[in-house]
Amino acid sequence: MVEQLASRPRTRSLGWIARRVGGGVFVLWAVATVIFFALRLIPGDPVDAILGGPGSQASAEALAQIRTDYGLDQPLIVQYFLAMGKLAVADFGTSYALKVAVAPYVLTQLWSTLVLTLASLVVAWLGALALTLATSGRDRVARALGSGLELLAAAVPHFWLASLLIILLSSTLHWLPPISVPGPLGLVLPVLTLAFPLTGFLGQVMRESLANAYEQPFVLSARARGESEWGVRLRHVLRHAALPGISLSGWAFGSLLSGAVVVETIFARPGLGRTLLSAVTIRDIPVVTAVALVSALTFILVTIATDLIDRIVDPRVTEVAAR
Amino acid sequence: MNAPRILFLPLSIVASAALLAGCTATTEPAAEPVDGGTLVYATGDAEPGCLDPHVGGNYPQGLISTQYLESLVSKNSDGEIIPWLATDWTESADGLTWDFTLRDDVNFTDGTPFDADAVKANIEHLKDPETASSTGYLAVGKIDGIEAVAANQVRFTLSAPDSALLESFSQPWVSIQSPTALERDQATNCESPVGTGPFIVTDWVKQQSVTLERNQDYNSAPADAEHTGAARLDAIEWRFIPDAATRYAALQSGDVDVIDNAQPNNISSAADVATIEELDAPRPGAANRIELNSGKAPFDDIRVREAFIRSVDVNPGIESLFFGTAERSYSVLSSVEPDGVSLPDVFTTDPEAAAALLDEAGWDTIDSDGYRTKDGERLSLTFPISTNQSIPAEQSLFEQIQASAKDVGFEVILQPTDLSSWYGALFTNEYNLVSAPYTKVGADVLRILYHSDSIIPAPSGYYANLAQLSDPALDEILTTASEVSDAAERQELYAEAQSIIVDGFYVLPLYDQQNHYLYSTSVEGFRALPPVAAPTFYDAWLNN
Repeated sequence: MVEQLASRPRTRSLGWIARRVGGGVFVLWAVATVIFFALRLIPGDPVDAILGGPGSQASAEALAQIRTDYGLDQPLIVQYFLAMGKLAVADFGTSYALKVAVAPYVLTQLWSTLVLTLASLVVAWLGALALTLATSGRDRVARALGSGLELLAAAVPHFWLASLLIILLSSTLHWLPPISVPGPLGLVLPVLTLAFPLTGFLGQVMRESLANAYEQPFVLSARARGESEWGVRLRHVLRHAALPGISLSGWAFGSLLSGAVVVETIFARPGLGRTLLSAVTIRDIPVVTAVALVSALTFILVTIATDLIDRIVDPRVTEVAAR
Repeated sequence: MNAPRILFLPLSIVASAALLAGCTATTEPAAEPVDGGTLVYATGDAEPGCLDPHVGGNYPQGLISTQYLESLVSKNSDGEIIPWLATDWTESADGLTWDFTLRDDVNFTDGTPFDADAVKANIEHLKDPETASSTGYLAVGKIDGIEAVAANQVRFTLSAPDSALLESFSQPWVSIQSPTALERDQATNCESPVGTGPFIVTDWVKQQSVTLERNQDYNSAPADAEHTGAARLDAIEWRFIPDAATRYAALQSGDVDVIDNAQPNNISSAADVATIEELDAPRPGAANRIELNSGKAPFDDIRVREAFIRSVDVNPGIESLFFGTAERSYSVLSSVEPDGVSLPDVFTTDPEAAAALLDEAGWDTIDSDGYRTKDGERLSLTFPISTNQSIPAEQSLFEQIQASAKDVGFEVILQPTDLSSWYGALFTNEYNLVSAPYTKVGADVLRILYHSDSIIPAPSGYYANLAQLSDPALDEILTTASEVSDAAERQELYAEAQSIIVDGFYVLPLYDQQNHYLYSTSVEGFRALPPVAAPTFYDAWLNN
């Protein structure tokens, strides 16, 4: 039995990936279906989005034209299957409000959001590592200070933090622009806003596993060999502390995507979040669908990736998963 | 430790920079306009889906298209129609034929000459169902035939006289574009509409900005402009900054020069900032108001409508929530409409009279929660609120109205929703109170908002007569007014119409549609173009 397991790690990994991909496709279909019906359950008429909303009193001819053009004169269930058929071949259609092809538009917005969220993830990781490594395993005061800071950071709402940073760093000190400008400078405030609460979350999780790692025999043996305190932390304890952080990063990425709605709006930064907000408001169905699917897809890929990294960093995960 | 010293250094730099800035601010500004520079404008209105205002036709499109498109006529600050691309016009005695003389020395920025054929192509573009025009389509609704009599003469034949025709032509949603450019597909024309204006659309980065560059050959300023020839600015960067606090912070930090949709608290604090100025330019058409749905109970009873208006006290809320930046309106029309009539005596608050009216109307019992009832039914009013259109201060004002109505026994149920759900509630007649903005040039907006024809929904479900006011006498006055060109006679008819609307207690006026611009003192010569109070930067220059 043990031999058999050991001899098939490759096929097991492939099977695992296939299951994850299959699950991902199912999630995407579910997301598309929920979005489709949810947007149509809202009272009103999508034609208003096409006509620009407020006060639109278009002629009967114009409205009939639009209904035919967008297939809105078909029964709902027919519209659903038509929409799913198009999505299956990655045809996202044309935006009601922006009058542009949705796919390329959403992809450019995705890039902007990825830059923001990945940068925030990196900064949050660095912040959490610095904070936990500096304060864990030390005296009680340092530990309490560290974990108190993390708790506080994790609880800060994005919009409040964003306003605070703008007031402090832009309006008062004039160090940074309050609005997103091209280049790294414009990224600073949005990234700080997203990374700060996440630093707190990651820090709390890592602190606990760090504390566990300090109890392990290998730490004692490293110390006995005369390893310096920072050496113990960086070379031995870190690997253990990082694991739950990696697992959490998949979830963290999802929370960063939703945080992007607030941050992109406040800092006037282009991206998926802001696109979604304005599209939902005016019920631009093709754009909402595309943004939801792209976000879901990104989230699925990131979770698969973090699970893979987990399995590489700690092979024990594979065994657990195989049982 | 070094930390305090490290912190001190930037602080001292900031402090000395602030001192220096204080010194330079006292130097005299250059008296003569200078050429050049890029002005950064930050808008809080929605980013248009299409930069061609013929498509759809809402205020955000009017805001930006005023920079690159021009209309046949404009209005001056006294509300009089003045020449723009058209120099002269005559109306036939029966009001069914209009002849316009056009400027013959103007070209679109793609080289196409501006002439009668261009005007014809534009009106046809507005009427084409493929364009999906709403505001512009309505404005040219009575035009049946367009004929290019000569290169600089265009003749419109109408299905019925239209006394609002000139006002309609002054709107940005009916501005004139290059017929060559209009022949491109709609997506392309949406990205880069071509007009005769002082600036040219050169780039549009979605959710970021539109770049507008100076039109070097510009020669068609409206009659009330300060100078002639090309604009003074090299370019305008038109940025989309949805968050009001960020917009104001960007103005404070100097990252932008002008912001629109300034919020009451920012306007109030900007009054103390020496480097920021304010321009209050209310939108024309209707005032912001609450409509009372008379199409169903309980507001189908005039006594209940009057009781509601007597029960609410609006003024303290406006004073406190708007920091003195908004003035109470007692008119259905905007204060910039010359034909608007203010009738403060109709809107006096009197809770006792309100209670008496409700008793008389049969709402004479009070339930355990303090609300009035009739035949076991509570006096409940639903009030859907569009959180996309009502700013936080206005939503708070509605809460205060809710509280004062409660004292008399009305239960006002506020329902904050997104825009599409809000429209949904309106279309399905699920509202008793509603506040909907409407911008149009001229008092003819009364016909759109209160003629019984406007209760019949468009196929989209939208109808503008949200008070569901149906009064044959009013209909006749509004129709007559829309066909009478004599200014004095029109004014009289519109005054009569307004007194019918107001005396029937269908509407509770609140204040003008707020349109506040805040701008840096380094911007000179900036004004709002009178027709719809959109900004214009043709005369503007930067003195820094």
